Amino acid sequence: MARWGMVIDLDKCTGCQACTIVCKVENNVPHGSPEEQKWRREIYWNKVIAVTNGKYPRVNTQLIPMPCMHCDDAPCVTVCPAKATYRREDGIIMQDFRKCIGCKYCIVACPYGARSFNSKEQEEKEYHRHDLPPDRLAWGPWPFPSRTHGVVEKCTFCFHRIDQGIKEGKKIGEEVVPACVEDCPAHARFFGDLDDTESEVSRLLSSRGWSRLREGLGTKPKVYYLSK
Amino acid sequence: MHLTFTPIEGKSRNFSTLEATLMALSLVGLMSFVISYVKGHETLGTSNVIPWGMPIVITIYLIGLSAGSLILSSLTYVFKKEEYRPISRIAVFLAIVLIFGAMVGIALDLGRPEKSWRLFIFFALNNMRSMFAINGILYGGYFVISLVYLGFMFADKPKSTKIMAVIAIGWAALVHMGTGAIFGFIAARPIFYSPLRPLEFLAAAMASGLALLTILLVLIFKLAKRDLNRDIILSLGKLLLALIILLFIFVFVDKLTHLYSPHREPMIWLLTGPFSSIFWGLQVGCAYVLPTILLVHPRYNKTTKAVIGAAILVVIGIFAERFVLVIPGAAYPLPFYPGKIEGIWGQPGSFPFTPVEIFMSLGIFALMGLFLILGLKHLELLPAYESSGQKPASQ
Repeated sequence: MARWGMVIDLDKCTGCQACTIVCKVENNVPHGSPEEQKWRREIYWNKVIAVTNGKYPRVNTQLIPMPCMHCDDAPCVTVCPAKATYRREDGIIMQDFRKCIGCKYCIVACPYGARSFNSKEQEEKEYHRHDLPPDRLAWGPWPFPSRTHGVVEKCTFCFHRIDQGIKEGKKIGEEVVPACVEDCPAHARFFGDLDDTESEVSRLLSSRGWSRLREGLGTKPKVYYLSK
Repeated sequence: MHLTFTPIEGKSRNFSTLEATLMALSLVGLMSFVISYVKGHETLGTSNVIPWGMPIVITIYLIGLSAGSLILSSLTYVFKKEEYRPISRIAVFLAIVLIFGAMVGIALDLGRPEKSWRLFIFFALNNMRSMFAINGILYGGYFVISLVYLGFMFADKPKSTKIMAVIAIGWAALVHMGTGAIFGFIAARPIFYSPLRPLEFLAAAMASGLALLTILLVLIFKLAKRDLNRDIILSLGKLLLALIILLFIFVFVDKLTHLYSPHREPMIWLLTGPFSSIFWGLQVGCAYVLPTILLVHPRYNKTTKAVIGAAILVVIGIFAERFVLVIPGAAYPLPFYPGKIEGIWGQPGSFPFTPVEIFMSLGIFALMGLFLILGLKHLELLPAYESSGQKPASQ
C-alpha cells in the first residue's frame, strides 16, 4: 500500500496563494468573507502563513504553505470520540461528515490549525462551483457540495483524484496529483508515495535538507518542507 | 430524632411566579438553541481559534459542582454524620439536576446535536482512545448511579444506600478527573496541557461542591425555620478552607510549571494579556484570596456569615476558573513555525459574547432551576420538622 506524502520546496514558493484558491475551487470550499475572516470563521483547507525573523532592514520572511499534515500519529484521530476522523490505509486522514457530531475536540487537538468548523448555513451563491449546488440528501466526503454546517472540515489530499487515478491505472504523483500540486505556478509542491524509492518525493527527500513542522510533538507529519 | 421528608406545597404566588419565569427563560434558551442550530455556530462567539465557548465552560462547571457535592454529601453519609442527614436527599437530587444541565450544555455546544446519541454507543461507534468517549461512559454511569442512589434513599433502605454512596463517591471522582483529562491530555495547547489537570479539576469540584452544599444547608435550615447549628457551619468553613488551599496549591504548581519553557510564553500571555483581569480578579481573588481571608481573619472566622460569604465567593470564583481555562487556553495562537507569524494566523483569538449564546447559557441555568423547584414540589426531598408547621408526608 502506498503512503502518500507531500513535499513543498520553500525555495520555490512565492506565496502567491494559488494553492489556497485552487483548493477552494476544487473542493468547493465556501468563499468566506472579510467579516468571517476577521472572526476567524472562514474555512481554509490550505493556508499560507508568513513568518518573519529579524529586524528591519535585516528581515527574513518565510512563506509556509500549510495543508493538512496527514500525520502518521494524528492527534485528531486519537481524540475524535465518534470515529468520524480516521486514517485510510494509504495514510490519508479523512473526515466523515456523516459521523461527525461537531464537538470540535479535533480542532482543539490539532497542532497545525488544519481544521475548520463549518459554522454557517451556506447559500448556493457562496460556493465557487455553481454547477454543483449544495445537495443535502447525500452526505459523503465527495462531492463536496454535499456538505452541512455544524461539522469539521479539512484537507483530504484530494483523495477523489487519487482514487479515480488508481481506478484508471494512472501514475499517482506524475499524471495525477492533488489540485494544489497541479496548480502551483512555481512548481514548489510535489506529491507521491513516500515508501516508493523511485518516486519524485523520495528522490527529493534524499537529495535535499528537509524539515517537518512541530516535530517535537511527535505527530510524524507526511508533509515535508525542503529548506530555502 | 426521626427525620421525615416532605415535598413543599408550592401553591404560593411567589412559587408560581418563579416557575413561570424559569419556564420563560428556558423557552428563550431553547429558541436561542434553535437559532444556533438552524443558522449555524456563527451566531455564537466560537470560531476556529476558540472552538469551545460558554456551553463548555458551563458544562465543566456544572459537572464539578455535581461531582463535588455528591462526593461530600455521600462522605457524610458513609461516615454517619447525622447532622448532615437533612440535606442528604436534596444533595443527591441536585447532583442529578446539575449533571443533567451539564449534558444539555454539551448537546448545545455540538454542531450536530441530533447525532449526540453516537457518543453513547460505547465501544461500537466510539473511539475508546478518545478522552471524550471515555467520559461518555463516565457521565452515563454517573447519571444511572445517582438515580439508583436517590431511589434507595426514597425506598428507605439504609444498607443499599450506603453501598451506593461508596460507589457514587468513587465514580463522581472519576467523572471529574476524566473531565480534567479532556483538557489535560491535549499536547498542542500549552495552557491545557498538564498531568495535574485531573487533580486540579477534582480539587475545584470538591471546593465548589462544598461551597454549594454550605449555601444549600443554610437555605434549607432557613426555609424549615430551624435554628442553624453554628458548629456545623464553622466546621464546613474549615473544610472549605482546606479545599481552597489544596486547589490553590494545584493551580499554583500548574501555572508555575508552565512559566518554564517551552510553555512560558503562553502562560505569560495568560497572566498579563487580555484575560488577566478575569484571572487575577475573579479566579485568584474570588476563589482563593478573599475566601481565605474571610475564613482565616480573626475578626470574621468565628461567624457563620463569613463562611456563607466565602462559599458564595468560591462558587463565583470557580466559574471564572473554568472560563479562564477554556477560552484563553484555545485562544493562544499555535506556533506553526519558529519566528513571528504575521497576520491573522499569529494573533490570539477573541471571544465575543453574542446574545444567542448568553440566552442559551441562561436557559441552561433556568432549566435546571425549573427541574429543581419541580423536584422540591413533587418529591420528598426536604426535611420536615414539627416546628415548621408542615405536615410530614404520608409514610
